Amino acid sequence: MIDEPTEESLAATIRAAAPAAFDAGFSDRVMTRLNVQREQAFTSALNRQFRLVVPLAAAAALILAAFNWWGARGTAASPFDAALNLPQVTLSSAYSVTSLYGVTVPTETP
Amino acid sequence: MRGTKLPDHHVTDHTSDAELIARARAGDDLAFGVLVKRYEGAIAATVIGMLGRGDDADDVGQETFIRFHRSLHRFRGESSLKTYLVHIAMNLSINALKRRRRSLLRFVSRDEHDVDLPEPRVGPDGEVDAHELQQFVRAAVAQLGEKHRAVVVLRLFQDYSTKETAQILGVPDGTVLSRLSRAMKELEARLAPYVRHGSTLPESIL
Repeated sequence: MIDEPTEESLAATIRAAAPAAFDAGFSDRVMTRLNVQREQAFTSALNRQFRLVVPLAAAAALILAAFNWWGARGTAASPFDAALNLPQVTLSSAYSVTSLYGVTVPTETP
Repeated sequence: MRGTKLPDHHVTDHTSDAELIARARAGDDLAFGVLVKRYEGAIAATVIGMLGRGDDADDVGQETFIRFHRSLHRFRGESSLKTYLVHIAMNLSINALKRRRRSLLRFVSRDEHDVDLPEPRVGPDGEVDAHELQQFVRAAVAQLGEKHRAVVVLRLFQDYSTKETAQILGVPDGTVLSRLSRAMKELEARLAPYVRHGSTLPESIL
């Protein structure tokens, strides 16, 4: 058992040794860390959204490609052209300005 | 729901905690910064008292305020803000001590851990340098077991009552009293030579 005056002095000595502060600039360090964590939170939220959107976009692209391919059955288009719904390009259509732009351009006949 | 309109003036050191919290909730970092400065001392006393000065303590101190910022919307003011923060700081410190103990056990044997405290030098007039005595006392507190140290930090460094200490630590009042009694006995054995003689307690630290 510690006698009372000693206990009081001991308690006072211990109280006086209580650390009063962190190293200088503590509040700045807290605010910097807070800002870093906010930026990280924003980036990870973007990542989460991206991860949600990517499968949906891929599924939509697949459905569209299948739809295009189904619609192009019986034509001479290659499966790739059919999936992307690319127009048939022949030599004559390539030379025809009209067929490309839908505008009739008067052509000079020699 | 319409938000409460905050008074349109700048925050100062005299702005109340409630107003600072309301502003911080609304995204005012300046208000949160004032809260950090206001309670830095209390958190330092807890965290440095538990972990000793160093990067670990600074990290736990910062994390305390980051956790508080995250839980700003949940803080209802049922306890004082200081008690709320000290509670977070104490839990984080105890977790840090557990992590430290795990890594220490991996690399250091138990015997290496028990080192003698470098005693403060006593001058010819019987006076002990105030700074050295403080270091000595902190080192003595740091050598207490984790549970005893937590009680000393809260009861003596933070001046909490037995009841408040019990609430923060989640133990019965009687446990706080018995741990404090044992801790004081241990500390008395180490510090008595510097406490019994009035001359060894410099006025500058009292």
